[in-house]
Amino acid sequence: MLRVKNLTKVYEDGTVALKDVSFEVPAGEFVAVIGLSGSGKSTLLRCINRLIEPTSGEIWWDDVALSHITGEELRRARRRIGMIFQHFNLVDRSSVLRNVLSGRLGYVNPLASLLGRFPEADVARAYASLDRVGIRDKALNRADELSGGQRQRVGIARALMQEPEMILADEPVASLDPALAHSIMRHLQTINREDKITVLCSLHFLDLVQQYGTRAIALNAGELVFDGRPAEIDDQKFIDIYGREAERIG
Amino acid sequence: MKETENAQRGKGWKTAVYLLLALLLYAYGVQVTNVNLEEPLEPRRQQNLVGLIRQLARPDLFSYANETRSMDISLRMPCPDEPKGSQLGSEGRTIVLAPNCVNTTQDPLRLTGEGFPANASGVVIWHPPGSTTTRRVAEFRADGSGNFIVRFTMPDVRETADLQRLEIVELLDRRITGSSDTLKLTLDRILETILMAFMASTVGTILAVPISFLAARNLMTDVKMPQISLMLAVILAPIGGWLGGWLTRWLLQAAAGGQALVGLILLLVVIGLLAVVLRLGGSLLDDSPKRWQQAGRWLLAGLLGLFGLGVVGNLGLDLGSWLTPRLGLLAFVGNFIFVMADFLLLLLPFFAGLAGVAAAMSLGGRLGQRLTERLSLGAAKLAMIGLTVVGTAVFTYALLFAANWVCLLGVCRWWPEAGQWLLLVSLLVGVVGGVLALRLQPKQQIAVGTAVYIFTRSTLNGLRAIEPVLMGFVFVVWVGIGPLAGTIVLIIHSIADLGKLFSEQVENIAEGPLEAVTATGANRLQTIVYAVVPQIVPHFIAFAFYRWDINVRMSTIIGFVGGGGIGLALQRATNLTQYRQASVMVIAIALVVIILDYVSAKIRSRII
Repeated sequence: MLRVKNLTKVYEDGTVALKDVSFEVPAGEFVAVIGLSGSGKSTLLRCINRLIEPTSGEIWWDDVALSHITGEELRRARRRIGMIFQHFNLVDRSSVLRNVLSGRLGYVNPLASLLGRFPEADVARAYASLDRVGIRDKALNRADELSGGQRQRVGIARALMQEPEMILADEPVASLDPALAHSIMRHLQTINREDKITVLCSLHFLDLVQQYGTRAIALNAGELVFDGRPAEIDDQKFIDIYGREAERIG
Repeated sequence: MKETENAQRGKGWKTAVYLLLALLLYAYGVQVTNVNLEEPLEPRRQQNLVGLIRQLARPDLFSYANETRSMDISLRMPCPDEPKGSQLGSEGRTIVLAPNCVNTTQDPLRLTGEGFPANASGVVIWHPPGSTTTRRVAEFRADGSGNFIVRFTMPDVRETADLQRLEIVELLDRRITGSSDTLKLTLDRILETILMAFMASTVGTILAVPISFLAARNLMTDVKMPQISLMLAVILAPIGGWLGGWLTRWLLQAAAGGQALVGLILLLVVIGLLAVVLRLGGSLLDDSPKRWQQAGRWLLAGLLGLFGLGVVGNLGLDLGSWLTPRLGLLAFVGNFIFVMADFLLLLLPFFAGLAGVAAAMSLGGRLGQRLTERLSLGAAKLAMIGLTVVGTAVFTYALLFAANWVCLLGVCRWWPEAGQWLLLVSLLVGVVGGVLALRLQPKQQIAVGTAVYIFTRSTLNGLRAIEPVLMGFVFVVWVGIGPLAGTIVLIIHSIADLGKLFSEQVENIAEGPLEAVTATGANRLQTIVYAVVPQIVPHFIAFAFYRWDINVRMSTIIGFVGGGGIGLALQRATNLTQYRQASVMVIAIALVVIILDYVSAKIRSRII
């Protein structure tokens, strides 16, 4: 169970990215986070694993205060939260395998990892993860030799290496064409259903939200404006979320 | 409409004023740079210039076998009352020197020759009385009918009662027999220069890499820790350093002495023990839950390793000094082994001390983190203030100790006698620090990284600002004239320069992978190795090559102040007005710079 209470984030330049946001996510849900660009979706996701420091408010994950832990405790919490990015965030010059193995860094002996050594079990796990997303044969290629869809699958494999209990996906399909987008979303859905991993995924297209999300929350200018089932988003709600000038597509 | 017009007109005025200001600046510039177009046009200056260029245009590349015939004629300095000319004849050749004396070094002399073979050439060599060196004062070339006239002066001639002997050497035949001594010297020295630059670039690169991470804003601003961690790290650092250095020195002493055979046996025993420690009970690199046991094995392995290195160092000394006289042409290999072993033994305590400092600081940081989390607010605050007093005192003591050491060199006069007052002042500052810390909260994160970043950056900038030539003077005085001084200067400058360039590269990396690796729960060092290093390696290699190219050029300048290499030879040649020799060296430098420039550009374009 993830509980966000009165979360507020004000950047140093005065921009209010999140304003008093509160919601709860029971374990195992697939939550779609929607809203316009700049509405605070990325900030919300990054506050949860503390890539961004919240200004005030609390984030609880079961009995861990994600918003307040530091150091070793924070690292131990982070390694159970996988993250997938819009621009994949792979290390281009490293091999696919090494990129995937880096998902294991929170678990392995730090000194061994600095020497580039991983336990055999982890290497086997990396191949299994790549197998699961269908690109085992690319393991030894350099990451920048892959196509966009393949790279996002490496991103998913890296997150899977963490044996996560929650995955934060920051617009994972915004850089991909519609066909690839569905393929990536299906991977996330499978992970959500088979491994019982909670997924928080920010999305742009409403049809993806309705097809894959079990729940949707919407942000507008940093405020939570909707929290419910995706099917509940009718035309009036749509205008609340996206504003009057938006036109519904897809 | 009107307003824009006005704005336009204003702009025109502004431009005019700026132009006028620039003109004024220029006028003053002409005044201070002593622009004088009359002097370079004077015939004397032009003559000197032509002479110089003539020598530069004939680099002393080859050695010749000359067949010559000589005639001597003499000259007086100063002139007797009535200056006259001298005439000399031999085998149909007649030469006339008029006048046959000078009063100043500027007085013109005229030498005429008749009856020489057509197009015969030669030189006039001056033998100063009482000196073993000679000097070429003029050259001549006869015309088609065997006559010539040369005019010259006698530079540096002094007044003596003795006659000044001038030798007129006619060149009969001339063959190239091989490369000149200058060419050999130049090749020797240019190799020295290239190797100096090579060593400085490699050592500089290796040392600049870790420093550049400390000087990269994006890596350092996030490094924060609570006050308790910071102070524990400061307090434990000197203890760790002392322990590391002392243990190593003790181990090295234990490893020293004894026969080479004993050393070899010892080495085998150490390697065996190391293997046992590393293998038994699983790999050291596994993440075993028994942390203390693991730490103990690491410590044991470290001590054994240090002892082993000590034995290796001593064996290296023996091997090097045994090999050097036996290898002949490859003697430098033996010398290399000896020097490296010497370096190893010298630097091992230092690096072990550094490692001790790092380990102690990391331990202090962790301990502080745990204390901050576990202690109640009141206890944490009390601990924080107590530790701040001690930590600030330790830090101040270290600073004062360093300042005291510098002052022992006699730099400052007002410095009082060292002793108890150091401790007293430190404690006082510590108490002040403790009082200031009252305002801090135990859980508050102190931006240590930013402080380190600012300190590293300013140090690098300061080092870069010091002219290498000046550093050259200092190190020439310290380690003596020669390539070692030059190499040290180049290393320091390379570190400062590459440290800044590298840190800018680190600041320019894509943030995405950094974010992604941090999100997996990796620690700081892991993040650097997995997300930063792969992105910067090609740039670092490219810069290291570029630095080699710069170092070759810079070593020439440092050589001028005694830093060895081709620069030193070039300076000697120009000081002795041996411009033909200097010309060879300049050509050699130019060739090497062009080649290195080309190669480094090629390598850069291939890597990036």
